[in-house]
Amino acid sequence: MITAEFLCYRNLAIDALTIKPGITTIIGANGSGKTTFLKLCAGIAVPDSGSLMIDDAPPRETEIGWVNEFPDRNILFVNVFDEIASPLRFRRIRCNEIDSNVHACAEAMGITHLLKRAVGELSGGEKVLVSLAAALVHHPEVLVLDEYDSHLDARALATIEQGIRTSGADYIIRCTQQMDTAINSDYLLFFDAGRITHAGTPDHVFPFLKGTAYYPVLWGCRWPASP
Amino acid sequence: MGVPMASITLNRVSAVRDRWSLSASGTFNEGVHLVSGEVGSGKSTLALMMAGLFPPSGGDIGKEGITTSMLSLPFPELHVTAISVAGECASWGVDPGEILDAIGLAGKKESSPLSMSRGELKRLHLACVLAKDYDLLLLDEPFSSLDCEEKVKLCKRIGQQSQGICVIFTHEQNILPRVTRIWEIVDGMLVDCGTPPDAFTHWHHVPPVITKLTALGARPDNISPDDFLEAVCRIQG
Repeated sequence: MITAEFLCYRNLAIDALTIKPGITTIIGANGSGKTTFLKLCAGIAVPDSGSLMIDDAPPRETEIGWVNEFPDRNILFVNVFDEIASPLRFRRIRCNEIDSNVHACAEAMGITHLLKRAVGELSGGEKVLVSLAAALVHHPEVLVLDEYDSHLDARALATIEQGIRTSGADYIIRCTQQMDTAINSDYLLFFDAGRITHAGTPDHVFPFLKGTAYYPVLWGCRWPASP
Repeated sequence: MGVPMASITLNRVSAVRDRWSLSASGTFNEGVHLVSGEVGSGKSTLALMMAGLFPPSGGDIGKEGITTSMLSLPFPELHVTAISVAGECASWGVDPGEILDAIGLAGKKESSPLSMSRGELKRLHLACVLAKDYDLLLLDEPFSSLDCEEKVKLCKRIGQQSQGICVIFTHEQNILPRVTRIWEIVDGMLVDCGTPPDAFTHWHHVPPVITKLTALGARPDNISPDDFLEAVCRIQG
């Protein structure tokens, strides 16, 4: 379980929260605290007060995969292969093992054709796919995805959805502005001005959002029961 | 003599790189155009070529009635030239006070643009871009980084454009403005899908919501959330 108790950091305040293993999606307006919460989950930031624990350990003692909406901010290497290989090289894993892991991961993300390319030449969406491969290649326990989908088309999203679901990560925590993506979650958190105002399954949360831009157009007339 | 209508014509325009290529022909007349395509299909390359910032490998681009043009890049930080938000507004020739009030960022006047959240920076950038009218406005992934409410506002703002050519290059599938014409890049080729709703039948990247509504017997007239809601109302009676 991921648990937060009396968590305060900047504008974010969460008295109590429990996240079960699975896919948790965070939705809400820009500035509502989504990215701040994700940074805390990833251990990039630590709470001013209170606690956030992942299976009883702080995030900084947990294997985390992190993808930012602006992958340029996290990409370290010039070419795609080196970027994806970097988490393994930092762990001093054997070269032949690195090669096979990078190729397997690139194949799962549908980006084998990019491996020899320079990252700087890639489109925004391709950079996200590379970052995701780099985040998954070391098999993290927690995968944190910050609006990773805002530069991706439907086909790339389907590939990624498959990739993250088969990644083996116990927890996938992501934020998105695509309600089609949010629908396919185990758990939904709606953030408003640094507070979680709605939490639960999509079936529980979406009815509260009726009349807002976050309400999926077809939610009210789903057919037959949702898959 | 009236003002000539703006148009931009792509005549066998091509871009080639290693095993990747893009070819594009067609005329974009006044109105709002949507260009869809997969990641890496060449949407941004096409936008750059139409803006005159990337030379095509072949073919030519003809422009008529276009004296002002603007390209908005997907990543707003690429546009930043000033060290303060107020300076950034001024660099676009817009009054900081007025525009920052309108987009709810009045308190950020003295902040560094690069210290703002990505959504705030995108909002600032788009407000500066849309503060002026252009004969040719090219918006590359304008919806990225915006939350759902801001996307709806942007769609309304784009819908208010009364003249000129506006071309939106995006993969956004849910919150889009009403458009005049739909294009897509398929297998390295720009394809003119035509006008909505007829375009939906052969649009490879048709949003799933349109496919589902059509299957339910309520094909929307266009691609905006209002059109989807109107179709939903038809289903629900």
